[in-house]
Amino acid sequence: MNFNILLTLAVLTCLVGLALRLYAWFSQGIHPPSFSISPFQRLTWALQAVVATLFSGKVISLIKSIFTDLLFQKRIMQKSLLRWTAHSLIFAGFILLLLMHAMESVISANLFTNYVSTLNPYLFLRNLFGVMVIAGIGIAVFRRITLKSKRLISYNSDWAALILVGVIILSGMLLEGSRISSYTVFQSMMEEYGAFDEAEAANVEAFWVAENGLVSPNISGQIPAAQIELGREANSFSCIECHASNSSAFASYSLKGITRPFAMILGDSTAVGLFYFLHVLFCLTFLAWLPFSKMFHIISAPVSLLSRSVVGPGAQELEENEGPGLANTLTSQMVGLSACTHCGSCSTECSSSMFFESFKNDFILPSEKMQFLKHLAAGNPIDPQTRKQLQEGLYVCTSCDRCTEICPSGINLKGIFINARYALLEDGIPEKTLISHFSFPLALAQRYPDSHLKALKAVEEIFRRTFQKLTDLALPLSLSPAGGMLNDSYKSCYSCQRCTNICPVVRSYSNPVESLDMLPHQLIYSLGIGNSEVAMGSQMIWSCSTCYLCQEHCPNQVELTDIFYNLKNAALKKIDSGERS
Amino acid sequence: MKYAFFQGCNIPIRIQQYATATEAVLKVFDVELHVENDFNCCGYPMRNVDEKSYILPSARNLALAEKACLDIMVLCNCCFQSLKKAQHVLANDEALAAELNEVLAREGLEYTGKTQVQHFLTILHDQIGIDTIKSKLHYRYTKLDCAVIHGCHLLRPRKITNFDDSFVPAITDSLMQAAGAKSIDWQGRLECCGAALAGINDELANSLLDEKIKGAQAAGVDFIVPICAYCYLQCDIAQVNNLKKQPDKATDTPFPVLLYPQLLGLCLGLPPTTLGLPDNQTISSDDIDSLQSLLGPPVEPKKSRKKVKTTT
Repeated sequence: MNFNILLTLAVLTCLVGLALRLYAWFSQGIHPPSFSISPFQRLTWALQAVVATLFSGKVISLIKSIFTDLLFQKRIMQKSLLRWTAHSLIFAGFILLLLMHAMESVISANLFTNYVSTLNPYLFLRNLFGVMVIAGIGIAVFRRITLKSKRLISYNSDWAALILVGVIILSGMLLEGSRISSYTVFQSMMEEYGAFDEAEAANVEAFWVAENGLVSPNISGQIPAAQIELGREANSFSCIECHASNSSAFASYSLKGITRPFAMILGDSTAVGLFYFLHVLFCLTFLAWLPFSKMFHIISAPVSLLSRSVVGPGAQELEENEGPGLANTLTSQMVGLSACTHCGSCSTECSSSMFFESFKNDFILPSEKMQFLKHLAAGNPIDPQTRKQLQEGLYVCTSCDRCTEICPSGINLKGIFINARYALLEDGIPEKTLISHFSFPLALAQRYPDSHLKALKAVEEIFRRTFQKLTDLALPLSLSPAGGMLNDSYKSCYSCQRCTNICPVVRSYSNPVESLDMLPHQLIYSLGIGNSEVAMGSQMIWSCSTCYLCQEHCPNQVELTDIFYNLKNAALKKIDSGERS
Repeated sequence: MKYAFFQGCNIPIRIQQYATATEAVLKVFDVELHVENDFNCCGYPMRNVDEKSYILPSARNLALAEKACLDIMVLCNCCFQSLKKAQHVLANDEALAAELNEVLAREGLEYTGKTQVQHFLTILHDQIGIDTIKSKLHYRYTKLDCAVIHGCHLLRPRKITNFDDSFVPAITDSLMQAAGAKSIDWQGRLECCGAALAGINDELANSLLDEKIKGAQAAGVDFIVPICAYCYLQCDIAQVNNLKKQPDKATDTPFPVLLYPQLLGLCLGLPPTTLGLPDNQTISSDDIDSLQSLLGPPVEPKKSRKKVKTTT
């Protein structure tokens, strides 16, 4: 197959991939559900929003964002200089190579009147840019390895991306290195451009062997200095106009030690052909693979960053359930999901990182949620176990919004997570961490209050199924040996009921026994007779405001509030083990 | 003096003015605050679910401060209690300390218990001292009645938090008095704002909050002054939310809520914007004006000095 066929195939694959990605942008979404809006309608509304922005004052923040966020990548700079260096090296090196080298016939040749790829500065720059990319990849690999201890998870696809970019550059350098030492290439150039008599040609050859890394079958051993000088002279008359010294291609030139053995075994023209084939293959693979991988962020991250610069970080705070508002919310969720590069910045700084260490649930880390949520957005079937883990991961979140602050792609992770949370709750599967203090910021933000209440009811339902209430018990409570409690201070209770009398929660109800099942002193009594089950099932422990007044006022140092925490922990563990059995 | 500034999860995103006002005030007294970006959640939100998972995050935060050779200064009561609780538990449970240290070791951290945890008010009251505060005052309130709401997890359990007398706290009184303000005795002073129940039992959380707002109104004070970040969020944002939810009260003016470093900062000559006063949802520009109009010369009237002696 020749180059053009391969190129066409790669471009077609890339275009199909891009079309699929764009279709997903406008047809999928996490939450709220939108059954009636067609992809075409969503595209129209998105374009309308873009046009409206372009003709408003916000266009200034857009232009500013192009320079600061896109070209300078300020968001990465602010968080980590090392990451910024790595990304800037790869980004700048790769883009410049693409423009100057890969697209030379379109760009460089038209832009620079005397452009010749073998002349300086181009010969030197090509190597410089290549080395920049390699250095950037080196830092990125270093970062992925060293930050492993800080919960940066790397997938095979992350390594694949780094490796693919690396081998593109490396194969290009090897190609150039093999060409430098190739006698075949030298001969064809001499034939095409050189106008030498035989003696001059021999001198030029000697000069190229001595100073430009050429390997010639005609020359071996020590070359006389005089001949080199003659060759240099001939070279300066004829060759130098179109070909700078090979040592300016400093990286490729130093790689000739690697390419020479290949040339010796395969013959120099086959070696050149091999490296050419590899270089083209890697480049085209990259092109074809781009839309199907995280490399798509080359397109989606700028869109995400630009839209953030216009709408601000809290775009999805606005709750709209229909029309353009809903459509654009869903579209921006999709842009966000596709802009995630799995760089892990959010996870290394996640406030819930220690909960990840305790629960060993990957979905507690924001980067892992992001990677998985595209399945939810696409409506792919998710097995119940994964779903449960994901739901827990979405709730074990302190709502500190650091992930959204930090994301280099400007993704509104907070908005995506809030919507994912309620998308999963729609299925009616209860989430027990809902009855933890993680719910405080959710209550404050007042998103989807009805879904929240419905979900709380579902949790209440599992409690009803798992625990017997005091009022359900027909037989008198029996005495059994007490035990299993972390805190055994309940044993000191001498029934004064000071705890119940001072409790602000008990005070809040006109009929506290009916609303709370058991009062604080009764909970302690039930532990005293060895029945912690009935205590675990009572509403009182979940209505405890944890104000510690009872504990502080207890004349006999019963640590009531701490005991209630123990009971809450134990109740949730029991539910958990019930669910698993 | 230099401290690792522990802001927790709520303050940086929801109450930035608490941090900026505190920083501005402490700068006057040459206290340097180091913002450690690596701190994670204190663990508090996990407390209902699992005790060990609740302790681990605080152990890591303490280990981080230990590595930086700094003591921790905390604003939020729940963070304060979590850090203190972790210290207490780890000091008495070697096996758990060893287990958690194993997790921390993966990041090159170790908890040995060297770091001290101090509440912002303790630093003002004990480290800086009332006399130094008074010496830096540009103004003093001529008359300002406030309903301080301490927040439960600062005072109790006293065995763990070790902040002040949990039945008759005096630190806030003397700090308020230093600025010429009066911390009145009211029912909500030592009680719960309902935050721990928000999102779990909203009805109850709101009724506890309502009780506090009404209590402050009945006491005839000018401002509610919550110490805890959660109490602040309840009294400020949740109060406004609740008014909006009730059609007949949607246009009512919320009861104004002030943070102590804001109150003190004005007396130190700091401008209201530096102290983030306009960021409090319950505070209007009229409130700021009237607050500033109460500022008088920084001298203490004789009468009130006498009063302090009798109460302490």
